[in-house]
Amino acid sequence: MRLHDLFIPNVRKRVQKMKITHTRHFKAFSEPLIKSNPVFIQMLGICSALAVTVQLKTAIVMALSLTFVLAFSNLIISMLRKVIPRNIRMLVELSVIATLVIIADEVLRAFLYDISKQLSVFVGLIITNCIVMGRAETFALGNSPGLSFLDGLGNGAGYGSVLVAVAFIRELLGSGKLFGFNVIPHSFYNAGYENMGFMLLAPAAFIIIGLLVWLQKSIAKE
Amino acid sequence: MSDQLRSFLFAAATCLVCTISLTAASTGLKEFQQKNVAMDRQKNILKSVGLIDENTGYTHEEINKLYADNIKCMWVDSKGSIIKKGQKAEKELHVYIYMKNDRIESYILPIDSRGLWGRILGYLALKNDGSTIAGFTVYKHSETPGLGGEIEKRWFQKNFEGKKIVSRTGNFLSLSIAKGGVEDTVPEDMRGNYVDGISGATLTGKYLSSGLKDILLEYEPVSLKFRTKKLLRLTPGQKSCPVRKEK
Repeated sequence: MRLHDLFIPNVRKRVQKMKITHTRHFKAFSEPLIKSNPVFIQMLGICSALAVTVQLKTAIVMALSLTFVLAFSNLIISMLRKVIPRNIRMLVELSVIATLVIIADEVLRAFLYDISKQLSVFVGLIITNCIVMGRAETFALGNSPGLSFLDGLGNGAGYGSVLVAVAFIRELLGSGKLFGFNVIPHSFYNAGYENMGFMLLAPAAFIIIGLLVWLQKSIAKE
Repeated sequence: MSDQLRSFLFAAATCLVCTISLTAASTGLKEFQQKNVAMDRQKNILKSVGLIDENTGYTHEEINKLYADNIKCMWVDSKGSIIKKGQKAEKELHVYIYMKNDRIESYILPIDSRGLWGRILGYLALKNDGSTIAGFTVYKHSETPGLGGEIEKRWFQKNFEGKKIVSRTGNFLSLSIAKGGVEDTVPEDMRGNYVDGISGATLTGKYLSSGLKDILLEYEPVSLKFRTKKLLRLTPGQKSCPVRKEK
């Protein structure tokens, strides 16, 4: 057997392994998007998903804020995971998360004042969002910083995609707008079409999330 | 090093790092935030007299221009007379003025009322007849979102427009927030002095009512001048004034 033959299978194997969808890093990012979506599967962060999804604009800003907090809290906690004393680890996690949330809030108030006014307490309430603490405890404490950061991004994107989907439906049906612009033509209104006021209320978000969970579960089964 | 000491030191270090980063963020962004707050207050003054539309976006320059073109201000003493520059009075009240074609169209009172959880800050605009409300806005409050927090919403503020602060016979009566809908809870001859309340926010309404009453009473001499047609005249060519910082 030649030397060449000895190496070929290995190389092939490595190439297969290198395929991006099979890396651990990709999985850390992609799994929370659909397979273990924080809102659909783990039923976390529902409260803010109800509160800030009347408009797409607020939903997107909220999603970005949470993604920022989640990714960096995961990164920082993962970097500290070997030095944090076990008995105070939750306190440390909470301080890191709270600090990041306040920074996010301050930035919004400096550059997106109107939206930050609309989001009011809900940015501050990211501190109590179970997704953030949950990822810190279950993932960041046991994985490398790079993986944890990607996991944070993935969970943020998973949460954000639900928010955007719900906000899209609510803004479109509730006020006939997308991103604040009228998208339903006047002729529709003239023909008797009316906006669904119900979509602007919190129960509507519950129903939409319920329907989306149903959709997601039936797709995931296949 | 014992475990306890290590935990303690680690906690202290965490606190220190967090504090430093928060202080840096807060001081670094303060300038932008203050600019936003001042802009927001100008916007609210303009909104109270109906100069800007809630659904339209405005750039900072547009707001600044609208404000500079239309809003002036004056200081009045406790008798409702204008305090001229350089003069001093025992009590000085600040009033914003909306000028239209060199006439005073409406005057705007800064509102600083007690709320359920904190102060409610806003503006109340009155027409130049001294008794009709032109608009009401809130720019800062700490009421519960969805309940008392509704005071910042358009549907609530819209109800103020056209209401009176005087009774039908012309005596001062203030303006109150009803407990529930005005049509169901207020006798017919008083309906002009009440706005619809917010369900689930009775206390916010109660505090805001009494806050409005105190402020309107304080400014009653000014309103009286407008009501008796002793139109207050501003010195022509007065420059616009910056929004004042809250106390």
